[in-house]
Amino acid sequence: MADPFLSIQHVRKSFGATTVVQDFNLDVEPGEFVSFLGPSGCGKTTVLRMVAGFEEPSAGKIVVGGKDITRLKPNQRNVGMVFQAYALFPNLTVAQNIAFGLKVGGMAKADADRRVAEMLDMIKLPQMADRYPYQLSGGQQQRIALARAIAPKPKLLLLDEPLSALDAKVRVSLREEIRSIQKKLGITTIFVTHDQEEALSISDRIAVMYGGKAEQVGTPFEIYNRPATKFVANFVGTLNVLEGKVTDASTGKVQVDTQEVSLKGKLNGSKSGDTLSLALRPEAISLARQPGHDTSLSGEIAEVHFLGSVIRVRVGIGGNTVSLDTFNNSTTPPPVVGDKADISFSSGDMLVLH
Amino acid sequence: MKAGKFWAWVVFILGAAYFFIPLIATVEFSLRMRRGVYSFDAYKVVLGDSQFQTTFMYSVIVAIFTILLGVLIVVPTAYWIRLRLPQLRPVVEFITLLPLVIPAIVIVFGYIRMYGSNSPLPFLSNNVATNALLVIGYAALALPYMYRAVDTGLRTIDVRTLTEAAQILGAGWGTVVARVILPNVLIAVLSGAFLTFAIVIGEFTMASLLNRPAFGPYLQNLVANRAYEPAALSIIAFIITWGCMSLIQVLSRFAPKSANRPN
Repeated sequence: MADPFLSIQHVRKSFGATTVVQDFNLDVEPGEFVSFLGPSGCGKTTVLRMVAGFEEPSAGKIVVGGKDITRLKPNQRNVGMVFQAYALFPNLTVAQNIAFGLKVGGMAKADADRRVAEMLDMIKLPQMADRYPYQLSGGQQQRIALARAIAPKPKLLLLDEPLSALDAKVRVSLREEIRSIQKKLGITTIFVTHDQEEALSISDRIAVMYGGKAEQVGTPFEIYNRPATKFVANFVGTLNVLEGKVTDASTGKVQVDTQEVSLKGKLNGSKSGDTLSLALRPEAISLARQPGHDTSLSGEIAEVHFLGSVIRVRVGIGGNTVSLDTFNNSTTPPPVVGDKADISFSSGDMLVLH
Repeated sequence: MKAGKFWAWVVFILGAAYFFIPLIATVEFSLRMRRGVYSFDAYKVVLGDSQFQTTFMYSVIVAIFTILLGVLIVVPTAYWIRLRLPQLRPVVEFITLLPLVIPAIVIVFGYIRMYGSNSPLPFLSNNVATNALLVIGYAALALPYMYRAVDTGLRTIDVRTLTEAAQILGAGWGTVVARVILPNVLIAVLSGAFLTFAIVIGEFTMASLLNRPAFGPYLQNLVANRAYEPAALSIIAFIITWGCMSLIQVLSRFAPKSANRPN
């Protein structure tokens, strides 16, 4: 494994008596795209701001390219950043905005002009050079902000919820554009978001944060399919959580409501009589028994929502409710509320949360 | 016509009359210097007076230096308070309001005691130093207007994010203030500058007691000894004032616009 390009080591940040980031550790490989995902107030932006130099860590170290930058000022770090509110300079044209970092860095005018043209081509807005920020849409402004951040060839690119202020359609197209530019340039990138779909779709790895700590760091596949904690399982994707009681630890028997399921080899040291939280993704569950599914539970249809291409069904199993989606089939009518129903799944898809 | 609209017109006409009647009367009086006919004689006398020219030019130069000093003090202070020390805002606002309650004569007597010819720092015995003290005093007098204008301008932009965006691109504090903050609050600074100009041009107490050849004392002298010329001078001052305001309007067309306030 190569040396990490960015290394955040035992970083803590307190504001007075409140600790917002505690013992945060993360190594990022060169060219990697890592997302910080978490709810508001989880400390993700604070960590990003410490990497940028806008906040000084109360403890710990931040190393970029082998150099300790913990105490360096933001203008000495050679880091690019895109802000949620675009932060384009209103008094400067698009071209002048992109050239700002180049001029501050002392680049000759001819070289700066060439680089600005290159950047405008990259974001596919070459005709916008002489426009002012107020003449652009939100998506265009954010693309200019991205070009401005990348123009001085920073070592590291920080994206602080850059898509939050945009409408849904622009968000999707811009996030794909950001990812494609990042891959093309091979620039190491940290992306802060509270939107799990955004994080899952464009990241190499995700750090899911909660309460100032990284709950889990892993690939989108790992985070989604093997959540390490109850918080990660609940926060990332939709999850059905069933309360169960271990009836026989040696054979892996767990009672859900009045029915029994077998979870052999997944109980991780739980003893008979222990209460467990069992998690199942909606896409792992089928209505009625399916081949390959070794476990089934009986219940009653509680809710049916027709959403067009899919039908969302909620099935009550004792005190638990399980949500699942079925594809709409024009020849089969949707289930009826109050009907008895069996759900089936593979016991291997069931996660035991700690 | 609806009753509401009728009363709106009545109020408008009364307001306009309150504003225009004294102005028309002053214009009319200023034109009556020559017996029996209207003429611009009073204006010719005022504009042809060498003392008018020298005192007016002196006050204009002092006003320019006062504006420069005010901008140098107020812009970085208001910026820093907004960026890093918002908890100090009430204190700074209180300090900037002090010149409204402490009369100019207090500052002058302070100057005379501190810097008089018998004091350890006899700046008032030197013309250049006295002029500098006058500029500093005027900057203090104009502080409430300049600070409020700049602070209001800063409120219309996202000071923190713009500062951080400039810093992360490699800019130091000087570049941030000169190339990002100042251009974006230029209209607010110009408004403050105009108010400063208006205060300095007509100021009498400080200029008179420091024995400076300024426009205020000249104006006072003229009012005390002549009849028609002060009226002409009032109209000239009125035109200069409205000229300045029109200039601000013209300059504001070239001001930076943000997405939040287009045009």
